[in-house]
Amino acid sequence: MDLLNEAPGPSSGAPPRPGDQPAAIDRPGPAHTAAVARTLFGRLVRLLSLLLAVTLAAFVLVSASPVDPVRAYVGAEARSLSPEQLQQIEDRWGLDEPLSGRFTAWASNVAQGDLGVSQIYDQPVAQVITERLPATLSLMLIAWVLSGLLGFGLGLLAGVYRGGWVDRIFSWWAYTLASAPTFWVGLVLLYVFSVSLQWTPVCCAAPIGTLLGDATLLERLHHLALPAITLSLIGVAPTLLHTRQATIEVMESDHVRFARSQGERLPGLVLHRVVRNAAGPAIMVQFAGVGELFGGSVLAEQVFTYPGLGQATTQAALRQDIPLLLGITLVTAVIVFFGNALGDLLHRWSDPRIRTVSS
Amino acid sequence: MRITRNRCARAIAGTAILALTLAACGGSASDSAGGSTTSQTTHGPPTLHLAIGGESEEGFDPTLGWGRYGSPLFQSTLLQRDADLNIVPDLATDYEVSEDGLTWTVQLRTDAVFTDGTPVTAADVAYTFTTAATQGGLTDVTGLDSAVATDEHTVELRLTEPRSAFINRLVSLGIVPEHAHGDGYTSAPVGSGPYRLVDWQRGQQMTVERNPDYYGEAPEFERVVFVFSDEDATLAAARAGEVHVASVPAALATHTIPGMELLSVESIDNRAISFPAVPDEGALSETGAPIGNDVTADTAIREAVSTAVDRQALVDGILEGFGSPATGPVDGAPWDEPSVEITDADPARAGELLEEAGWLPGADGIREKDGLRAQFDLVYPASDSLRQGLAVSVADMAAEVGIEATPVGASWEEIEQRMHTDAVLFGWGSHDPTEMYNLYHSSQAGVGYWNPGYYGNPAVDAHLDAAMTATDQDTANEAWRAAQLDSDGGGFSTDYPWVWLVNLDHTYFVDECLDLGDLQIEPHGHGWPITAGISSWRWTC
Repeated sequence: MDLLNEAPGPSSGAPPRPGDQPAAIDRPGPAHTAAVARTLFGRLVRLLSLLLAVTLAAFVLVSASPVDPVRAYVGAEARSLSPEQLQQIEDRWGLDEPLSGRFTAWASNVAQGDLGVSQIYDQPVAQVITERLPATLSLMLIAWVLSGLLGFGLGLLAGVYRGGWVDRIFSWWAYTLASAPTFWVGLVLLYVFSVSLQWTPVCCAAPIGTLLGDATLLERLHHLALPAITLSLIGVAPTLLHTRQATIEVMESDHVRFARSQGERLPGLVLHRVVRNAAGPAIMVQFAGVGELFGGSVLAEQVFTYPGLGQATTQAALRQDIPLLLGITLVTAVIVFFGNALGDLLHRWSDPRIRTVSS
Repeated sequence: MRITRNRCARAIAGTAILALTLAACGGSASDSAGGSTTSQTTHGPPTLHLAIGGESEEGFDPTLGWGRYGSPLFQSTLLQRDADLNIVPDLATDYEVSEDGLTWTVQLRTDAVFTDGTPVTAADVAYTFTTAATQGGLTDVTGLDSAVATDEHTVELRLTEPRSAFINRLVSLGIVPEHAHGDGYTSAPVGSGPYRLVDWQRGQQMTVERNPDYYGEAPEFERVVFVFSDEDATLAAARAGEVHVASVPAALATHTIPGMELLSVESIDNRAISFPAVPDEGALSETGAPIGNDVTADTAIREAVSTAVDRQALVDGILEGFGSPATGPVDGAPWDEPSVEITDADPARAGELLEEAGWLPGADGIREKDGLRAQFDLVYPASDSLRQGLAVSVADMAAEVGIEATPVGASWEEIEQRMHTDAVLFGWGSHDPTEMYNLYHSSQAGVGYWNPGYYGNPAVDAHLDAAMTATDQDTANEAWRAAQLDSDGGGFSTDYPWVWLVNLDHTYFVDECLDLGDLQIEPHGHGWPITAGISSWRWTC
């Protein structure tokens, strides 16, 4: 995912790059419009080249994998199928064609809006994705907002009370979470809240036995709760630690010292002098973390049998469903790209210094 | 019933989950008042919740392989196997096989209708078989030449060669309606089975309801929900009282769950060691893998391993007791020869066998013959901890009699390269005796994973051919048994190209109120096969 994290690092500010003209807000008129158009065009070119590179890399990686898709498909069944039958399956999937031909065929179909047919679901890839994307997006959105608010709030507290017991507890917690695997956290939460306490359901996106569309919004939220909390717990750590660091820096800066000497006290001091400055890194980390969040959702969905895109990704990868895997790669690359772009814009908006540097 | 609800009362604490939980409990309470959650009612059987896996990701099209194990639910098959694996009629009322074994004439019942109201005709059967033969799915109908409807209720299936085991296609292939079998069939199946599909939420659950037009005995349960959760979530769901049947791996079957009983179902899901039965003469297989092993080519070595191994100890130690010692590839099936006896857990006898064959103890305790050490690699798929356990235990047992079996974990790709030169731990088990043909017939040497040791015995080949070309099942079964042990005392059970170790039991937690009736010995594959008798399941509370 590092490939996608092209956003500048926290609090360092983006070095000016050729073709990277940001919206110069102070300059109105035709020059402004042209600059915006150029920026948009530049971004679009970058998005397209990124998509090409990512899908090509994914395709090469999948093709180089030693897993034989037919064997992955038939699984334990290999024992009972004759070689003629296995050949029939290969023919149905067109696996005899050379690699380069398969990729160009796929790419030209995509350019015409056809993502192909998933081998494992025997459904158009676009349909598999549109069926599952809403579930994953709502899971990611809730987790993202929760982790952002929690991470920023706690990071602020930890930074302000640097060295105190609040700081020590939160930092310890963040380091523990940062090193804990998502599926492990998920299993622990599943055991505590679903099995022992029975507050939350053990599986799925709707109660067992409820028909599609019959589940109420509240039931959906009930089923979403634990996966979302698992995911947000993991996402909290980087935001918390970066916010803490930024807060510490701001707290030691001259303007805060000046405000203190003027008699400003804690809640107000933080709200008026620190929050906006510390928000920059938090925003960057939070938006840049969209990719990791997706990776986490793959695991969380597996643990909670939550039927989103993550579950489909696991299936597609394990069973070498190349059309589906490439389709998902495309969609996630777009999501991550826009996450980063948005983070970039918001960072500029929240921190005037960045704007001056790049214009 | 302990299912759902009542947990709202317990959800009183100040966590982030609380708000969502309380809100959701409010939602589900009003919902069940509306009657959609029937599991609380005390009258009549509840909606059955099964967590037995078995989701068919690509949908419910029998021509692609759906329903080849257990019940196809939405479709019905020409024939069925009863709990003892004997053939009983279903859609077909009768069938006969021509003298030359090439033409199967099947008579259909006249009262079967598809769920869209159209009758099941011979044309539909012919269409189903023809499609399945060319579709490239998971059901293997490659032996079919053509399928022709000769009148409204008679269909002729013509084969390319005589094949008594073709009957298993009549047992496993659900019949689809020709007029409604197109795009979208996989997710909206139309058939003549005991249930029809109501709703399928891919990756999580599927709801089915009783088909009122089903020609057979109506199942007791109006609605059945299949939950597709993974092992941990399945166990959690069973503990939370949310499912009535939970399929769990043997390692998790040692738990106790209040209100549920542990059901251990016998299976022919077995594990065995294949031995190269020919010496290394530098030959290569079609795929370029080397063939032969000078040590295991000696029958005495293979028989000694079989004799030294303590199968009951493997069952107790590796399978946690959920299994049985295996004497052959098809234990308990109608084509199993019950008189096959193998000596087991007898190191002294194994030692004698080796001495007689000239394998004498060397300096380090490992036997030798003409300068050849009694050593071979025992390869197992590295990802399978059960087979690893078996391999290591077998190696220990073999070491006691002076044979050095070295356990080696490998990927399937590596195993394919090594399976003709090294001993390999395989798993088999099918309701189709064709598997026995594939494992032991010399013509199948080096084909796929079948007969990897290049075993060949003309007498065994003759029995297997006779079984395949038999035109009735009783004659076929006799020949299948003779291939294992014939009246002359020959047969593959005396040659030990495969040393059978254990049969696995499939373990399920089942609600105390649910009676699953007589269960089939299950094939390789844990979970869905238990649905074979779903129409006769009963609720006893």
